[in-house]
Amino acid sequence: MTDTQWPRYEVFKQDLPGQPHKAVGSVHAPDAEMALLNARDVFARRPQVVSMWVAPASAVFSLTAEELAANPEFWQGTAVSPQPYALFAKRSQRRSMTFVEYAGEVVAESAQLAIKQALEDGRFQPETAIVWWAVPLSAISGSDPQDVDSYYAPATAKTYRQQSYYGFVSPTRKSVKREP
Amino acid sequence: MNEPALQAYLLAQADDHLILAHRNSEWIGHAPILEEDIALANIAQDELGHATLFYDLVCALGGDDPDRLAFWREAGKFRCVQMVEQPRGDWAFTMLRQYLFDAAETILLAHLVHSSYAPLAQAAAKMRNEEIYHLRHTTAWIKRLGLGTAESHQRTQAALDALWPLAQQLFAPLPGQADLASAGIVPDGESWQQAWRAEVRPFLTTCSLTIPANDTPPTTDRTRHSAHLAPLLADLQQVARMEQEAVW
Repeated sequence: MTDTQWPRYEVFKQDLPGQPHKAVGSVHAPDAEMALLNARDVFARRPQVVSMWVAPASAVFSLTAEELAANPEFWQGTAVSPQPYALFAKRSQRRSMTFVEYAGEVVAESAQLAIKQALEDGRFQPETAIVWWAVPLSAISGSDPQDVDSYYAPATAKTYRQQSYYGFVSPTRKSVKREP
Repeated sequence: MNEPALQAYLLAQADDHLILAHRNSEWIGHAPILEEDIALANIAQDELGHATLFYDLVCALGGDDPDRLAFWREAGKFRCVQMVEQPRGDWAFTMLRQYLFDAAETILLAHLVHSSYAPLAQAAAKMRNEEIYHLRHTTAWIKRLGLGTAESHQRTQAALDALWPLAQQLFAPLPGQADLASAGIVPDGESWQQAWRAEVRPFLTTCSLTIPANDTPPTTDRTRHSAHLAPLLADLQQVARMEQEAVW
């Protein structure tokens, strides 16, 4: 069966100013503008968000620590032409919701060479990392800071969207709780 | 202040939002793509929230409790426009109706945030940001539908032909609205309609859509409803009416 879905975009969400954008999942969309709208509806329904980025999943180059160990020369023959790349890394398994987070930018001749450079300058460390991503900056679209009030701020007032708002029946205690 | 007129005005707004929210909620599980299912459910939930804010204002002026107003009135007591009563139709119809409504609401709320009736101004400030987002969403869709394929264009034009006259009912002045306008509580219907037309006409034209010549609504009287309202209410009110004393 043919996949009739739109292309997939990876979504990066920034919770507070100064924090790195973190990959939170993906949405289907016909283009970047709709991807940002869909990302807002899927991932900003609960607080807290101040900014979002989207990038076509096809533009993401991903490398795991295992892949690096198996093929240390992964970057051979990939050079095309220099352009800036955003780097992302997943360094911990502690929080289940957290995938890769933003880790800076480099100019390189391919996504592979961008990761090689980050490995060489110490930004990426095979001992602590699980997976790295490199995404051309030109493929990333970000939300407009002016949209925070209409895109993301209203969610913070909607406590009924929090799981804790709703009553639950405990399997051990036969009681229904509801937080105001 | 003409309180009965204000109460009637707020009730009309509340009913428009409630019925539109219900029509949009009918898409849950049926929208063309998962992301859009979530987005429209989100918009429906926002409109329901706006209905609640308007019902609360009605209640504060001595009207009935919001739940009584939503679940225990017969169709004849509703004051919504016929545009929001129409069945959801296809995706182009739903998106275009929501767009025409969002454009009108965004303009209205920009006025209402300065209303001389402070509780209304406060409620409007809450709603305004959400309407701005809705408008962004529906604008993006109408552009793509209008300029998309021959089929999407044809469906969107058909939706516009049906909705354009119906939409004009939104602006028909309510009894006593002139008093409210001169007291700076709400804008008058005519300037609201002019501002709306100045915004939607050029936008729809850039989407390669033709503005229909017919701009006469089937009625300007909000006590008159289409045949679609009663079945909608039967569905909307069904659960509440199963057990009158139930606590939700």
